[in-house]
Amino acid sequence: MLRFIMHAFGKLLKIGALWSVVALAHGQATDPAANAAPATTAPVFALPPPPESHWRIGAAFGYGQRTNPLIQSEDIPVLVDLDIAWFGKRWFFDNGDIGLTLFDRAQSTTSLVARLNSDRVFFGKTNTEYVNFAYAGSGEVSALVDPDTGAQATEPVEVVPPDRDYAIELGVESLIDGDWGSATLRAFHDVSGTHGGYELSAFYSWRWITGRFALAPSVGVSYKSAALNDYYWGVQADEANLALPEYHPSDGFNFEGGVQANYYLNRNLRIALSVNYERLADDVAASPLADEDYVMAYFSGLAWTF
Amino acid sequence: MPGSSRWLMGCLLAVCVPAAGADLPAARLMVKPLLCVTERESDHCSLTFDIRWKSTIAAEYCLNDSALDAPLRCWGRALSGSHSLKREVKEAFVYWLGTPGGVQRAAEVKIEVLRLDSADRRRDRRMRHVWDVL
Repeated sequence: MLRFIMHAFGKLLKIGALWSVVALAHGQATDPAANAAPATTAPVFALPPPPESHWRIGAAFGYGQRTNPLIQSEDIPVLVDLDIAWFGKRWFFDNGDIGLTLFDRAQSTTSLVARLNSDRVFFGKTNTEYVNFAYAGSGEVSALVDPDTGAQATEPVEVVPPDRDYAIELGVESLIDGDWGSATLRAFHDVSGTHGGYELSAFYSWRWITGRFALAPSVGVSYKSAALNDYYWGVQADEANLALPEYHPSDGFNFEGGVQANYYLNRNLRIALSVNYERLADDVAASPLADEDYVMAYFSGLAWTF
Repeated sequence: MPGSSRWLMGCLLAVCVPAAGADLPAARLMVKPLLCVTERESDHCSLTFDIRWKSTIAAEYCLNDSALDAPLRCWGRALSGSHSLKREVKEAFVYWLGTPGGVQRAAEVKIEVLRLDSADRRRDRRMRHVWDVL
């Protein structure tokens, strides 16, 4: 176990070193004049802004939901969205993520981040059911066939969605922005020995502001290794039965897109609307554990930032 | 709408601070817009301000911008006035109404600036937790 953690950590350090070289090159290639304030004839008072608090505390109240692609499970309601974060010069805590900033350049910030895997949340609220069909993946079902006789089984079979653990993942994250928008690059590896896999992801977003209204579309892609997908979305031999056949997904790409819209009532209060759609990798969607091939999340409400 | 209701409505729309001094007649000041929403790349807002004031006693009033030494405009023995101007906003400032050459404020309205992206880009991290949908 310790050897595995050291091995994973070594890989991450290599990724981090490569990442930092890219970030450094990107920062050096930046023209400082590109960020200069535009020349104006009207009075513009460039007093330095007041220092930001280390803390960011916020709460949103409204209604939203994240669909759950897992069979025999419930969608996840979102009525309150809390935001608790602390940012120091190097260290930061951001809603459960803990980070150590390695490089902070003009156009990019690179950090070492520890986080919990997000796939586990789908396994929190599940129901045991007796079914007279077999799960075939992507929400499809097939006849329940007794392998010994080849005949259709008549007795319902108990299906218990398997338990999955949270994985602690360690990785490197680069935040890059410019006139073109902002991008996030991430590489994470399991260091808790839970799934032993890794995830690479890239997201891009841009923001459009008019008056008090801001619209921010985003797109992203994430690659998840076979080990990660198999741990969460595979059906292991000791979990399989007539209704839930053994299954081992391979690696694959998830794609997502979303949009956030905010109307700012004042500095602290805004009306918020958020929609996000994620298409699961084909092999994950084809798992007998997957009832849907997507995750849809939305929320609308009032958000307050202290 | 009765005058008191209009006054209350005005205060909901703008931050009003009437009657700052004993020798200064009470006045109310209404300004639109009150908020500049911007981000690091654009850095400032170009806003056209619609400024109106009313007083219960006719007096000489001057409209001031806290970022400027000289008044923007003065009125002689008036009960009300209006002014419109375009201004670039980078920092919060105050429009205030006072007497010519005076420092006492009959009313003031603060124009605030909200920057959507921080100088610390870690604050704009994309979250991925199930409960985080914003």
